[in-house]
Amino acid sequence: MRQLVLIIIFITHSFAIDATIEVVKKFSNIPIIAIEDGSIGVNSFHNSEEFYKLLIGDLKVSSHFRVHKSNLYMKSDFESTPKFIDYKNSNVDLLLKYRAFIDESHILIVETKLYDINSNILAYQKVYTSKKDEKYPFVAHKVSIDVNSYLKAPSIDWMQKFIVFAKYVNSKESEVIVADYTLSYQKTVVKGGLNIFPKWANSIQDELYYTSYLKRPTLFKLNIYTGKKEKIAESDGMLVCSDVSKDGNEILLTMAPSGQPDIYLFNTKTKKKKRVTKYSGIDVNGNFLDGSNRITFISDRLGYPNIFAKDIDKSGVEQLVYHGKNNNSCSAYENYIVYTSRESDNEFEPKTFNLYMISTKSDFIRRLTTIGLNQFPKFSEDGESILFIKQYKNESALGIIRLNYNKSYLFPLKVGKLQSIDW
Amino acid sequence: MKHYLSVGAILTLLLTGCAQKSVEIEGENGAIGSGDKTYTQEETITSTSTIDVTPIDSGVREIDLIDESQILAEGSAQNFDGVSSIYFDFDRFDVRVDMQSNIENNANLFKNEKNSAYTIKIEGNCDEWGTDEYNYALGLKRAKSIKDTLVTDGIDENRMVLVSYGESNPICADHTKDCWSQNRRVDFKLLP
Repeated sequence: MRQLVLIIIFITHSFAIDATIEVVKKFSNIPIIAIEDGSIGVNSFHNSEEFYKLLIGDLKVSSHFRVHKSNLYMKSDFESTPKFIDYKNSNVDLLLKYRAFIDESHILIVETKLYDINSNILAYQKVYTSKKDEKYPFVAHKVSIDVNSYLKAPSIDWMQKFIVFAKYVNSKESEVIVADYTLSYQKTVVKGGLNIFPKWANSIQDELYYTSYLKRPTLFKLNIYTGKKEKIAESDGMLVCSDVSKDGNEILLTMAPSGQPDIYLFNTKTKKKKRVTKYSGIDVNGNFLDGSNRITFISDRLGYPNIFAKDIDKSGVEQLVYHGKNNNSCSAYENYIVYTSRESDNEFEPKTFNLYMISTKSDFIRRLTTIGLNQFPKFSEDGESILFIKQYKNESALGIIRLNYNKSYLFPLKVGKLQSIDW
Repeated sequence: MKHYLSVGAILTLLLTGCAQKSVEIEGENGAIGSGDKTYTQEETITSTSTIDVTPIDSGVREIDLIDESQILAEGSAQNFDGVSSIYFDFDRFDVRVDMQSNIENNANLFKNEKNSAYTIKIEGNCDEWGTDEYNYALGLKRAKSIKDTLVTDGIDENRMVLVSYGESNPICADHTKDCWSQNRRVDFKLLP
């Protein structure tokens, strides 16, 4: 069966050479997986059912599985032999059984067994631990990643990454919070005053940049494990870390030392900064593009916010988008750019923010959303997914668009008004 | 198109071929009753070499909390008596004609001898419709427009500092046009 999945995935990716082109793919033979919770007993984990839901969510979001009877909570004895015939009759390919409990040292233990129904084998069994049971969402994501790896499907390791966001808690007051991608786990890392625009400083996610409003807006780099805080820069008016280069050695800042918001390149090793844009209006939201010698950014040089690009060492500016009159936020991954476009009227509803994706190597524009207010788009580290926030009919949700699968998933938000987000 | 069709045909054959599972079920090692049906148990499950029961730490470490509440920005900022906020149109930072007289009145208050020792903090604000960095820049450009106008009205440029609060400082939280218009504004504070 693994070979079948590999063939499907190979063909899927063959068609998806340019991610701005939407290819409709329908696979009826995506493997079906059943999940059974075998947590029974006095020490069983009180969030075992939530754990179950997280596994279902992960496996669906991976787009590599269909979950058998995903609207039901299936329980069983962890040690008992699976009902193979039942599952075969239901065309189930894999069975994941788990047992979650707290041991005498207060450690969360999750035992798992993965059965390959078609091959009649126990494919593997693994035991996961976490010293803090509140971190169970990360254990669930790790279990899902391992199931996905068994199929040798494209990596979903990004599920194990942190998300960082700032949320407003009062006027001129916001907190910086670290979470898992479903926001099931949340930990406040900075509070008190106005703390905004958090951005991961490196790929291992132990440090982040954020702006704190002291006497002047001040950029700090914070180690979330040791609490060590380093002042990076300060500026009158505003100061934002917009993007971090892949090696972490350079960051793009929006600063306004004379009341004029422009984009600066800051070398984190030499501490030297260089002004990249010099326009008298608004230039913000710089993102490294096509490597790190070129940036895309938002500017109002046409009288409205739109998407532009320029070489860091040259003065010329290129307009990248020719539709919409309010394209005011963007995120880039290599040659791809996702941006928000405010549309006053369309066929679906009167006012929307929609997401679009373009490539610097083609003329295609791919529309990623159709209804609601869709904002804060951010590419995943591998460029295969986009994280965003959707507001629709007074409800907010965190959305994930799986670009190669034409699928998007929403997780209801219960965190209040978000200021910005990064992953 | 022909290429796509042939690939599609191959894919269909592959999928169709694999969809029919041909698993041999050995013997009857014991019937398992379930409801009104009786199933035959599978052959003994075999393990593969990939079994790994070494505990895997989920890798999530402890995270510290930084509390900035002891070093808030505005400890010593004061409100100006009699000074008016200046309001702006949607997505604009140019000064409205109907706001000119308010700016002139404010300039006269700033020139007043009892205020002359203070620095003027000009705070730019926006409604909730912007996103992210652009909104903070828009708030800043509003503050800058007011500063430039005050300079022409005779206020020393060095007495003024600018800051943008973007959409973080609303004075009205309703989702109405009137409310949004109240939030598109510039406020003034005194700094010693």
